[in-house]
Amino acid sequence: MDCFYAAIEVRDRPELRGKPVGVGGARDRRGVLTTCNYEARKFGVRSAMPTFMALQRCPKLIVLPTRFDVYRRESAVIRGILHRFTPLVEPLSLDEAYLDVTAHPGAPGALAEVIRNLIFQKTKLTASAGIGPNKLVAKIASDLKKPNGQFEVKPNEVPEFMAALPVRKIWGIGAVTEQKLVQLGIKTCSELQRYSRLELQKQFGRFGLELYDLCRGIDERPVEPQRERKSLSTEETFAINLETLAACEEKLEELFAELMADLAQKENTRVVTKIFVKLKFADFTRTTVERAGLAPSLGEYRSLLAEAFARTGKSVRLLGLGLRFADVDPPDAAQLALL
Amino acid sequence: MKFSVTKEKLLECLQQVQNVVSTRTTLPILSNVLLQANGKEVRLTTTDLDVGVRGSFEADVEKEGATTLPARRLFTIIRELPSSEIQFDIDGKNAASIRSGQSFFKILGLPEEEFPPLPKFDDSKVVTIRQKDIRDGLRKTSYAISTDETRYVLNGVLFSFKDNKLTLVATDGRRLAMLDIDLEFPRSHEADIIVPTKAVTELQRLLTDEGDVRVSVGSGQIAFDLNNTLLVSKLIEGNYPNYKQVIPGEMKERVTLERETFLNSLRRVSLLASDKSNSIKLNFTKNNIDITANTPEVGEAKESLSVAYKGREFSIAFNPEFLMAPLRNLTEDEIFLDLIDEMSPGVIKIQSPFLYVLMPMRISS
Repeated sequence: MDCFYAAIEVRDRPELRGKPVGVGGARDRRGVLTTCNYEARKFGVRSAMPTFMALQRCPKLIVLPTRFDVYRRESAVIRGILHRFTPLVEPLSLDEAYLDVTAHPGAPGALAEVIRNLIFQKTKLTASAGIGPNKLVAKIASDLKKPNGQFEVKPNEVPEFMAALPVRKIWGIGAVTEQKLVQLGIKTCSELQRYSRLELQKQFGRFGLELYDLCRGIDERPVEPQRERKSLSTEETFAINLETLAACEEKLEELFAELMADLAQKENTRVVTKIFVKLKFADFTRTTVERAGLAPSLGEYRSLLAEAFARTGKSVRLLGLGLRFADVDPPDAAQLALL
Repeated sequence: MKFSVTKEKLLECLQQVQNVVSTRTTLPILSNVLLQANGKEVRLTTTDLDVGVRGSFEADVEKEGATTLPARRLFTIIRELPSSEIQFDIDGKNAASIRSGQSFFKILGLPEEEFPPLPKFDDSKVVTIRQKDIRDGLRKTSYAISTDETRYVLNGVLFSFKDNKLTLVATDGRRLAMLDIDLEFPRSHEADIIVPTKAVTELQRLLTDEGDVRVSVGSGQIAFDLNNTLLVSKLIEGNYPNYKQVIPGEMKERVTLERETFLNSLRRVSLLASDKSNSIKLNFTKNNIDITANTPEVGEAKESLSVAYKGREFSIAFNPEFLMAPLRNLTEDEIFLDLIDEMSPGVIKIQSPFLYVLMPMRISS
């Protein structure tokens, strides 16, 4: 879906049409935007950006609070439409899903158009689609004709499509890996393809082996309808290592806001059973403090961070925090409780 | 540090302490076992910071000293050594040379100073219990411990020292096992403490039917001293729920059952309890219980037990695992099953002070 939450807000309040709109936490509460519309993106506003920063870039930005009950309702309508075409629907979030339409008799490009039209008829919201022989290609393709468009990569077009692609488009390649690749003189997938499995493994460890396949557009992951998210986390690797607990705490606050925005967007109904803080140190050793039964609050994360930091006192290269969810469906609902 | 020891003695001691060593640890030193050679014995200590175990064995100590060595690796090496005689020679850099028969191994350790010391129990309350009693008590209760980490106070066994009794309680919120051990101790030693699962499991491995165990309760920690083995553990902080309120004060029906017969019937019938509902039904009629289970599209099972029963006819459903767990761990030939109605907890009792409260499952019509 194209800027799903913002699009719903604009649909429900026509007076907002054409104006920059963001959805998320308010500035005075150190909020973070979960989404913004294309009008706002023109100003350099992005999702997951702190609201105060978004307002610096776009002072006229209208920031609205989230209405997850509405988003969930729309999401259920859309999923209903998707399921008419295939049972193999793997939702990534409320507004994104993989569909395996191998078994469907129609041509996939035309099928995507039908689905997008149906979604628009039912919800007055626009969607974009990527069509490809696997999840990797489909996902990359889905970004190319946004908003309200679609892009198809046929199996025989995959090599050409991948060759021209910047490496950053591959999932798993973030700022750090990208930087490392740039140092090796690699910007596109075709440049990456020159490296052997062994060389990539030396540079990037196990991920290197995946990279070898990914940069060729090879991705064997099946579309898994019932995949249930078990955890959610966010982390940052710092350009300059953090030397003190205070410096870590400062970063912790930013990451916490990000995690909460992510949680609100992706899994806002699940029960959180555990929270954890992960540190990677300058010497690449790592430690994780994980605790059950604590609420995901800034205070609790702070105490976990203090514990993790105290374990070594080495300078910190990476800080991550996250949470784990309870299983969605307790199997024995018929069992009566004693305590 | 230099000593020699027989393979059997060393292996036995290593087996006692090595279970505590966690495989995934962020502190490398916690993968190691501390070796301290003193006088005529060598002490081995392991810890994961929550639970620690210390054991010792007799040895020919040529040169006293201490070091730490990777526990699992040491264990796998010792187990494979060809001869019964083993010589250890550890140099100043914590490298251990191990000789046995024609074999030679050199493994690298870490300095003993890095090893976290086990907690001290200076002003703790000490109670002495017969090993046999506590072993029996834990066996009859610990299976009911909760594994749900969100209810962390239930992730252990409650040791309640009160009125010259030690009461052991374990529950997962759906069933509860409880047992009393008569014990004499001063009033000042009364306390409710929760011993975490890992310590309970380790303790059960170490306990025998002979001799006593000295239990020391300090602030936030507990020690079990079993003559030549010591187990220390952190306690679970928090308040154990008021378990007494869930023990039914009344009962309507009581049946006496042969434990093994009942267990065997349940085991057979539960083969057809469906994975989804996972319940079996007990149908009470005059002098008879029918135990039934069915799984849609698979089949059904039924078994009848003759019992002395004169009460009203009714059916009650239980999770078969929950019903079988106490039957497996009790040793008595005869048990009593007390019931009220299909929605109230059932209670399993024996002649001695033990009870197991189990909530039924809703019967879907």
